Amino acid sequence: MTDPQQPRLTPLDEWESEAATILDGGDYDAELGLRMARDAIRVSNGELSDAAFHEKYHEVVVAEFGEDRRPTEPEGFDE
Amino acid sequence: MTNYGLVIDQERCIGCHACAVTCKQENNVGLGQYWNRVLTEGGDKMDTPAGTYPENGEDGTLEMSYQPTACQHCENAPCVKVCPVNATYTREDGIVEIDYDKCIGCRYCMAACPYNARVFNWDEPQTVPEDGTGDVPARPQGVVEKCTFCSHRVEEGLDPACVVNCPADARIFGDLDNEESTVSKYIKKYQTTRLLEDRGTDPKTYYIRGEMSPGRPQTSDKMESELDDVSVWSEPKDNGPVEESGGSGGGGSHSSLSNDALPHVPAFEGGDD
Repeated sequence: MTDPQQPRLTPLDEWESEAATILDGGDYDAELGLRMARDAIRVSNGELSDAAFHEKYHEVVVAEFGEDRRPTEPEGFDE
Repeated sequence: MTNYGLVIDQERCIGCHACAVTCKQENNVGLGQYWNRVLTEGGDKMDTPAGTYPENGEDGTLEMSYQPTACQHCENAPCVKVCPVNATYTREDGIVEIDYDKCIGCRYCMAACPYNARVFNWDEPQTVPEDGTGDVPARPQGVVEKCTFCSHRVEEGLDPACVVNCPADARIFGDLDNEESTVSKYIKKYQTTRLLEDRGTDPKTYYIRGEMSPGRPQTSDKMESELDDVSVWSEPKDNGPVEESGGSGGGGSHSSLSNDALPHVPAFEGGDD
């Protein structure tokens, strides 16, 4: 059976622990996912630029996934 | 350029879950999964109010409302930014979609979505009937899925299934970049909110609260942009009923029916007895 995902809008103060639960048990680095999710929201908030977000995680994303195809890559980005 | 968005009138929403059910049916969503959820604002459980019943001669304080929630198709979507393989992307028409062939199931997008709008297929999805439902192929095990604004319908000039099948006419879909669209007019005219606005995601789903709008009476399953005349619901007259050109229109006023449009709700002809 699929995991029951009951209808609810996660309260903001519970978001991080819920995100950790979502990422737990996967094939990829859960801690990286949590950090990137946190910073992706900071990008949405305007606290972090797309370019800074891309640069911050580029190497580790390539190491984890073998590629980095995020749309945040700035023009002329030099790996 | 087209930029699709949704307005949900919470003053009209009756919490019937028809949008959630028709979404599952139309999009072949597996058992135990929800793309479109109707949350209860009130008590701790679904369809339960907060407050107290009127007892011992005292007034009750029961209070409950509904919060329909699905992917908000954010303009500034963190799920898109975080996807390492670009499986989650924003289409030119503003719809946030997932390329299931690219998705590797890392679930980073789920962690980044503050609306809990995405679900993951931990196992092979099961449906009743087994062959599935609706007009969308089943997604495989190991991918993330979510609301698409029924893009397969939108591409054919049809409204999303949840919009067409809302019996309260509470859901209005259209082009946010078109000032003449009903969604744009309602956002301008009525008090609207968006979920978790402080997150900066710029959702394209707006909620009307306070004054009830005329909704969006369904004259057919066509999108508004495909209809000849939408003035019946998009330009309500103040303090007076909308005039009809004749006949009765179950589910709303249908004076703008085009020749090939079928009423969503059959006209009520009167009692038999």
